[in-house]
Amino acid sequence: MTQTSAVRLRGITKSFGSNLVVEPLDLEIGRNEFFSILGPSGCGKTTLMRMITGFETPTAGSVELDGKTVDRVPTRQRDLNMLFQSYALFPHLSVYENVAFELRVRKTAKAELDRRVREALALVRLEDFPQRKPSELSGGQRQRVALARAVVGRPAVVLLDEPLGALDQKLRKEMQFELKRMQREVGITFIYVTHDQEEALTMSDRIAVMSKGRVLQVAGPTEIYDAPNSRFVASFIGSCNLIDAVMSSADTVEVAGLGPVPATVTGGFATGTQVVVAVRPERMTLTDRPTEGSFAGVISERVFLGDEWTYHVKTGGTELTVRVPSGETSAALATLPEGGQVWVSWPTAAGRVLPADDTTSPSLIGSPA
Amino acid sequence: MDRVVAWFCRLVFVFLYVPIVAVVVYSFNASEVSYRFTGLTTHWYSDLFHDDRLLATLRTSIVVGVLAALVATAIGFLTAFSLARFQVKGRAFFLGAILIPLIVPEIVIGVSLLEVFSSIGMQTGILTLVLGHIVITLPLATLVQMGAMAALDPSLSEAATDLGATGWITFRRVLFPLLRPSVLAAFLLSFTTSFSNIVISTFTSGVGSTTLPLRIYSSLRTGLTPELNALGTLLVLFTLVVIFLVGVRQMRRILA
Ligand SMILES: Nc1ncnc2c1ncn2[C@@H]1O[C@H](COP(=O)(O)OP(=O)(O)O)[C@@H](O)[C@H]1O
Ligand SMILES: [Mg+2]
Repeated sequence: MTQTSAVRLRGITKSFGSNLVVEPLDLEIGRNEFFSILGPSGCGKTTLMRMITGFETPTAGSVELDGKTVDRVPTRQRDLNMLFQSYALFPHLSVYENVAFELRVRKTAKAELDRRVREALALVRLEDFPQRKPSELSGGQRQRVALARAVVGRPAVVLLDEPLGALDQKLRKEMQFELKRMQREVGITFIYVTHDQEEALTMSDRIAVMSKGRVLQVAGPTEIYDAPNSRFVASFIGSCNLIDAVMSSADTVEVAGLGPVPATVTGGFATGTQVVVAVRPERMTLTDRPTEGSFAGVISERVFLGDEWTYHVKTGGTELTVRVPSGETSAALATLPEGGQVWVSWPTAAGRVLPADDTTSPSLIGSPA
Repeated sequence: MDRVVAWFCRLVFVFLYVPIVAVVVYSFNASEVSYRFTGLTTHWYSDLFHDDRLLATLRTSIVVGVLAALVATAIGFLTAFSLARFQVKGRAFFLGAILIPLIVPEIVIGVSLLEVFSSIGMQTGILTLVLGHIVITLPLATLVQMGAMAALDPSLSEAATDLGATGWITFRRVLFPLLRPSVLAAFLLSFTTSFSNIVISTFTSGVGSTTLPLRIYSSLRTGLTPELNALGTLLVLFTLVVIFLVGVRQMRRILA
């Protein structure tokens, strides 16, 4: 380990009064990484980010930037910038002066300042109206100014707090690509806070999933999606069937009304432990006749979504959701009415056995990929 | 219905502006008495500029108004700033306490000011006038500026800090420029409140520090002279110029 990580949090925690908002956590974020913090509103994402910037003092634990502890370093001397949810552009300054703010504060020479401001504006493709005021810009343009202002001083880390939240759907998609492109171009570590799982999956190198002040899992997008480590992660990212089950032996799980179901058991669960089996709806197969290892059920509802059908199937005492791409629906299946008999199956690798209760999942230490 | 409302609006304007127009018209009236119009003259203006005693009271009023407004605006700024930005203990109490001088009848404040000044042996004069006027203008100045500060996005100063600015630079480059219009408004409001005040001035002025309103009020007994109409007209003109200048600046700001 010769290379230090860009950000390292050790046992960092925050309470407001008696309200524990961020539970003690360790986290390492690598250089030039696009790292997302994903979780529902109110789970402590902003608070975690504000501790990294220094706006909030952690109740305990410490923050390291580039291998050096910065607990006693004030925000303005930390080598990072934040992109605020509200953009926080200075309304009385022009686009140019907003972007130039940091360089002026740091007393950069005039020619150098001008060159870097223009470079930053070019990076966000906003060279055309440097003299406009923020009030004369659209939401997307303000966003770009804020981004240019955050990167113009070439900080080691840029923190973005739900930066696309205020934009409409189409613009969000565009900006997702733009952000990713810029991050690669400038080679800055991005810490990206979002409650939008799709955003996190498309943009990130790694994702930390948070719930109620706890980081539940830190992993790359595919691993988060394919191998969630907890009930919350499985259900928050994409949709997922969570089937209540019991360990009937060290490596078999049994579901009431279905018997043993295919699943990969990782983590040592004692026999008799309550668990859940997580299976993605698109990993399940639906047929109109029994196949090897399939479970009989009845269609309780089906919904056409254009590119796919979503079936709700009642098997034993469990309601399962199955997604079938439109093109793959067999003619026999397509003609089945609601209430028709079907069979559901899934490969062993698609079923993941998870603790029934998230509070028992292990504490996590993320390290750079 | 619409026409009725429109006419009503016009009447309101007539009602509001008749006194002002009357002052201007009579200031050029050659006759001494206002109900007879005998021709145009600028006689009253030259009278006005030769009336040293009246001009002295005008000077007193301006000096007192400027001093009181400056102090009230400055203290009001600091009070509003700390109340809006820091978790001051007893914040609600402060907010209520600031309003009280606005509610207490001026005559009560005037009497108690006089009692305080005489009990500490302070001679009434310019200084007591200024102090008295600060008491009534400070709440206004504080309230006006507090509104503007509460409307400031707190993440602006965080953003400045994040970009490397110290507290002072943040204040000078970000917060103050954004608060400047409200500072100006607080100053103008304090000045006009002081300039037109009679009640507090009655109790706090001394020999040689008569303010303009006091002088006009006392000349009621000897009869109002058209000279006062000329003075009134000049004040209206001055106010218009100020409003115009401020307005033009605001327009520039908006258009810039
Ligand atoms: N300054 C504060 N004082 C008290 N409680 C706070 C403060 N900031 C945040 N909180 C609380 O912390 C919790 C997490 O907030 P936040 O970090 O903003 O969540 P997120 O960004 O994930 O939506 C919320 O319940 C919020 O009420
Ligand atoms: Mg937040």
